Amino acid sequence: MQSESLTQRSVVAHSEWRVRAWFREPVTLTVGLAVGGLLTVFVLLPILQVITYPSIQDYFHLSENSRWVRATSNTFRMVLLSTCTSTVVGFLYAMAISRPDFPGRGFFRLMAVLPLFSPPFTIGFSYLLMFGRFGVITHGLFGLEASILGWWSLWVVQTLSNFPYAALAIERALATTPPTLEAAARDLGGGWLAVFRTITLPLARPAVAGAALLVATYVLADFANPLIIGGDFPLLATEAWYRIDGWGDLRGATLLAATLLPPATLLFIGERYWVSRRTYAVIGGRGSSLDRPPLPGLLQWSLLAFCGLVAGLILSLYFGVVAGAFTRTWGVDWTPTLNQWYVALTKADHIRNSLVFAATAGLFATVLATVAAYLVDQRAFPAGRVLDALCVLPAAVPGVFFGIGYLLVFNRPGVPLAGTALVLILAFTFHNLPFSYQIARAGLAQIHPNMADAAADLGAFRFRILWDVHLRLIFPACVAAWTTAFVNGVTNLSIAVFLVAGGNQVATFSILGLIGDNRLEAASAVTTALLAATLLVVAAAWRFSRGARVIPGVLSG
Amino acid sequence: MDKAYVELAHLTKHFGDVAAVADVCLDVPEGRITTLLGPSGCGKTTLLRLIAGFFPPDAGEIRIKGVRVDHLPPQRRSTAIVFQDYALFPHLTVFENVAYGLRRRRVAAPEVTRRVREMLAFLGLEDHGGASPLHLSGGQQQRVALARALAVEPDVLLLDEPLSNLDAKLRTRVRTELKEIQQSLGKTTIFVTHDQEEALSISDRVAVMDAGRIRQVGSPVEVYAHPLDRFVADFVGIANFLPATVRAVTSEGVVLESPLGTLMTPPRSEFTEGERLTILLRPEALRLSFESGTGTLPARIRSTSFLGGTRRHHVQVGQLTLMVDESFSGTAEDAGRQIWLTIDVARLHLLPSEPA
Ligand SMILES: Nc1ncnc2c1ncn2[C@@H]1O[C@H](COP(=O)(O)OP(=O)(O)O)[C@@H](O)[C@H]1O
Ligand SMILES: [Mg+2]
Repeated sequence: MQSESLTQRSVVAHSEWRVRAWFREPVTLTVGLAVGGLLTVFVLLPILQVITYPSIQDYFHLSENSRWVRATSNTFRMVLLSTCTSTVVGFLYAMAISRPDFPGRGFFRLMAVLPLFSPPFTIGFSYLLMFGRFGVITHGLFGLEASILGWWSLWVVQTLSNFPYAALAIERALATTPPTLEAAARDLGGGWLAVFRTITLPLARPAVAGAALLVATYVLADFANPLIIGGDFPLLATEAWYRIDGWGDLRGATLLAATLLPPATLLFIGERYWVSRRTYAVIGGRGSSLDRPPLPGLLQWSLLAFCGLVAGLILSLYFGVVAGAFTRTWGVDWTPTLNQWYVALTKADHIRNSLVFAATAGLFATVLATVAAYLVDQRAFPAGRVLDALCVLPAAVPGVFFGIGYLLVFNRPGVPLAGTALVLILAFTFHNLPFSYQIARAGLAQIHPNMADAAADLGAFRFRILWDVHLRLIFPACVAAWTTAFVNGVTNLSIAVFLVAGGNQVATFSILGLIGDNRLEAASAVTTALLAATLLVVAAAWRFSRGARVIPGVLSG
Repeated sequence: MDKAYVELAHLTKHFGDVAAVADVCLDVPEGRITTLLGPSGCGKTTLLRLIAGFFPPDAGEIRIKGVRVDHLPPQRRSTAIVFQDYALFPHLTVFENVAYGLRRRRVAAPEVTRRVREMLAFLGLEDHGGASPLHLSGGQQQRVALARALAVEPDVLLLDEPLSNLDAKLRTRVRTELKEIQQSLGKTTIFVTHDQEEALSISDRVAVMDAGRIRQVGSPVEVYAHPLDRFVADFVGIANFLPATVRAVTSEGVVLESPLGTLMTPPRSEFTEGERLTILLRPEALRLSFESGTGTLPARIRSTSFLGGTRRHHVQVGQLTLMVDESFSGTAEDAGRQIWLTIDVARLHLLPSEPA
């Protein structure tokens, strides 16, 4: 305990010393200013541009705009509903998968992780296949021909899409609660329910709150599922897109997007600075490995049934997507065919673009994140706090907002980048920077300062230490950071819709187009291909990173 | 006394308001183990890090072999440190860890291999060259850290509590090994510990530190038997303290008035009549017996702890409780038992009385 606190202090003092040394370091200064400049241009500028695009009057007259009012209240309703259900489902799911002895745990966990690697609309799209006008279940099973599009379908889809974030975050909290605490409570005479109510639940509460805020952020920002499933249920994000797509109404779009920013920022700040501070430090010595007692039988069976239902639903949805790719006409003619793959082949360019753009953006984000993290963490860059804030800021900005910002700043005549793939790549880069940055920070934080001192003591100078100690030790974290940025890039739609142009089409956008044209089978084929390619790349990266596996979107606060 | 090999002159280092090292002057002799001993937080690590060069001193000078080094970064100093947590590079093999400093010094590859092999063999690690340090036991990790530091053949070896991460049994064994290694290489070594037993057993010289300052420097015997002040007396070894007043200074001895009655010590010149001072009684300056005799004091055993070779009694004499060691003879006295205490005045030590 004591040596730990001394170590922390020594980090602080070291940084004091480094601040002094810093002024003698033109390299640090130059690199720091360059990173700061990039962040200003590619993060701050687009955000400010969106906010200041409408006039003050426009903001004042918002409440008279009935479409805006409707979109806003719809959005909040959807956030509230989906957050509650996702968190509850996530909690129950976490209760199951946090126990090493739960039957089928590996499978259930996989089913929760899978949606995080797929484009955000995969669930919405497959839901359409299952429950849509020609859905297997609605039409095939029950002969209905009703449209299921609308708010409650969206609610179901959002719950299924977002509960994994809650489940994985809460799982970690439950799994790290020392079993000895529960054992002690039982020892003092508590039954299962009493222990759960007085120990397990209170200890998990910060994690649950954090998970809820995280889910709320995602539901608020989500664009793809409402577009596919929402039907005539306008939300802020989708309305912003319709304004631009249908009407070329940039002012209306920016107003709608700007409305998203305050709640998104509040949720983000809440998650990052409020809840994450409240997680309990576990007081404990060593050797508290103790098996948790089994769940009461009835509970175990109920949980199993529940998880089976949820996982079964997800599995069937994915199965639907894959099956669609081999079907002649979904819901009408079930003849197996490979025809859809010819269509997919014509979209091969788009899939390739997706992979290349996302990989490049991942590389940019990783390099930038590593440099920024190193400056902030190790070199006590004087404006470190500003740099830190700028690096995490994009996480508070919904994709739609970011996309419009880039559209306004970089895709206009006179800007050399306008209309190029680079705009899209840069948007991916900077929107994903917070994830990569946090991974890099966590990686650096695990390097004990004595490591660098030991290398210096043995005769290694600055760049040698940077190379031998810091870069070598955070390499796995870098691979993880890249993977995250890559997956987020490949699966992105909310930014892409605003920035794709002519030659830089990406797969998610063309899938959306195919769904819009009601060519669901072809959309299935392209989605399947994209999913397969993504998972392959991720698997390769995981092998490469030697164990530092990060699941997109599920980060510690 | 050997000539100073490392000289510290008026070294001072502040962290904010805390003076971690305050005006430290110390001469470290060549080829010996000099120990910095003091309670946790007294500035030992800071002093060691100043010598290694991880940060510059606020004031003062450091000389190694007569050359000032305090402005040099660690890379340019001929010191090598073993960290308390070893700080082995987890991504390098044992061999590469040991080779690291040689490679940084641009030693030719065959020479690196030869010297690392030699060093690993010297420390009994020849079978572990290819292993990751993460897969070694604590004792082995400690030796890898030592090998890594020794491989660069530093002028001064710095050891920061190198034994504190080992379990008790291993610690005494490694301590002896360390001493033997140091002696066979004749390496000038600065050893940091908060464990007085460790310090006394391993050191040629001990510098006792408190709150950033050095209170006393001397051989282990000196600091144990002739502590300069109450802090040193208390920190090094077990101590009973008695307040006393000088009644008379004669050619036969000093007559002291104490709660245990009047005591006469061998002649000392530095005290004056009426002076207040503190008497230090080590447990071995006291003896217990079952019969009264001349100069014995009636006492009562309050409790006894069995230490293996000896027993330590807490003995009540009047209002005082004293610790008395007695070599274990196989019989046990009962607590509460009446007993007689003899003070060996030749082994009693006088300390200036610090203002309370
Ligand atoms: N890097 C630091 N920053 C601030 N205070 C420090 C730092 N290192 C040590 N100190 C303080 O300086 C004093 C001496 O610390 P240290 O040298 O580590 O003591 P020791 O090694 O004897 O336990 C302590 O009060 C400690 O809190
Ligand atoms: Mg220390």
